[in-house]
Amino acid sequence: MFPLSEVNPEHIVTVKDFSADTLRNVIAHLKVSTSFEHLVYREAELDALWTITGFFLANEPASTQRDAVNRLHTGTHKAHDLVADRRPEAAATVLEAFV
Amino acid sequence: MLSHEENELLTHTAPGTPGGDYFRRFWLPVLLPSEVPTPDCSPVRVKVLGEDLLAFRDSKGRVALIDEFCPHRRASLFWGRNEECGLRCVYHGWKFDVNGTCVDMPNEPEEYGFENKVRIAAYPTREYGGLIWAYLGPPEHQPDLPKLEWARVPDSHRYISKRVQETNYLQAIEGGIDSSHSNFLHASLDAFRVTDSYVEKVKNSSNLRAKYHLLDKAPRFTVKKTDYGLVIGVRRNAEEDRYYWRLTQFLLPSYTMIPYEKGLAIHGHCWVPRDDETCWVWTASWRPDGPLSEEEWDSIRNETFVHAKVDPATFRPLRNKGNQYLLDREKQRSVNMTGIHGFAAQDQAIQESMGTVVDRTRERLGTSDTAIIATRRLLLQEIRELSEGRQPYAAHHGDVYWIRSASLLLNRDVEFDEGARELMKAEV
Repeated sequence: MFPLSEVNPEHIVTVKDFSADTLRNVIAHLKVSTSFEHLVYREAELDALWTITGFFLANEPASTQRDAVNRLHTGTHKAHDLVADRRPEAAATVLEAFV
Repeated sequence: MLSHEENELLTHTAPGTPGGDYFRRFWLPVLLPSEVPTPDCSPVRVKVLGEDLLAFRDSKGRVALIDEFCPHRRASLFWGRNEECGLRCVYHGWKFDVNGTCVDMPNEPEEYGFENKVRIAAYPTREYGGLIWAYLGPPEHQPDLPKLEWARVPDSHRYISKRVQETNYLQAIEGGIDSSHSNFLHASLDAFRVTDSYVEKVKNSSNLRAKYHLLDKAPRFTVKKTDYGLVIGVRRNAEEDRYYWRLTQFLLPSYTMIPYEKGLAIHGHCWVPRDDETCWVWTASWRPDGPLSEEEWDSIRNETFVHAKVDPATFRPLRNKGNQYLLDREKQRSVNMTGIHGFAAQDQAIQESMGTVVDRTRERLGTSDTAIIATRRLLLQEIRELSEGRQPYAAHHGDVYWIRSASLLLNRDVEFDEGARELMKAEV
């Protein structure tokens, strides 16, 4: 769905939700990111994912998706810290468990 | 978001901390020359990077920056007499010169020769660019002075103000590079509500910023790492084949610039840690090509933009936390977003409201915070590299600061750093 040869790591993924499509897009960008600038963009995307999942958990206490979103929220945090540690490939692997 | 450890690493700058070591590799502005105007003038207290210091100008006109406290009984030298090339403690008469050497110790027998063995901390200073700068780091790593454009224009072409802010320095920097806040915090109500009259006014004005902010409310952010720090590009759709770019810089360790509109004055800040919970805000407005205009002086006098009036002794702004920044709720209902007058006070109010050191583990960031993320990562990287023994490049290459912010229209297929290369060069 996101052939890596067509993914531009200079582009910031628009994170409007935490759908599988959005996750795949973020993962694809993580896999081709190498420079300081790329990692900043990836961190921004993961921050946005963490923010959106966090607000979902706060606002939808009765949702049937709650456990899954909670795991994604935790996974996003872990992926974020891996990117901060300059390990985007490892961050992509963490997120792949959710798609 | 940052981890707790990262937040601590970035926000602590006292002696012996990694962040403190980093700031101690750069010249930092510490005084307005008017604070120590003449030889043998009164000494003044200077707090910077968590150190309590004292400045005085000696009989030869040299500016000293020394430990505030006499090593004898720890009395403050602030009460001292500035006389004959030294500051004398009024408690027992010990006297220190600009190098921190004790040159007289009248209460001890002369034959002991104590005075030549006693020293207090003293830091080198320079008068440059309308300010007094100090270097608080190891002598063997003394850096270049930064060749900032505002520091190199004649006195008549610039105005520099100093104020204290009751937050950690990083919060202040983050406000300086967060371009998405200006459409809200600094907006008039007409601009925020996009009233018909506002649209009409903007459509027919030469104010490109206002025009393209109306056309595209979801700008794209780009950052590029450079020798001096970062250039941050904010891109908005303009006409079909063009983008409107606003380019600003973060210069290490703590300078920012506001995107420059050709023909107007340029503005920038330097944020210097006073201690971990307060910082000095140095704000410069300058014109490379001539004196500031009357309109620009009016803006300074009326505090409408980046400068604020302060108490001349403490440098605390007259609009401050203690008086709620003279908030006017009626003005907030009818005139602007905050009800607070002036961009400087608006920024200060909102940044101080976050607490002295914001807990960055509790933030909820988005992609519009890209510049903030980049700045933190760059500073963390620089601090860690110094801990591993690598000296900061920018500190020893003053020429890299010869740069200017910009705003311009570019064809969509042109990279901003290419298209703006000439415009981003400082001229002086």
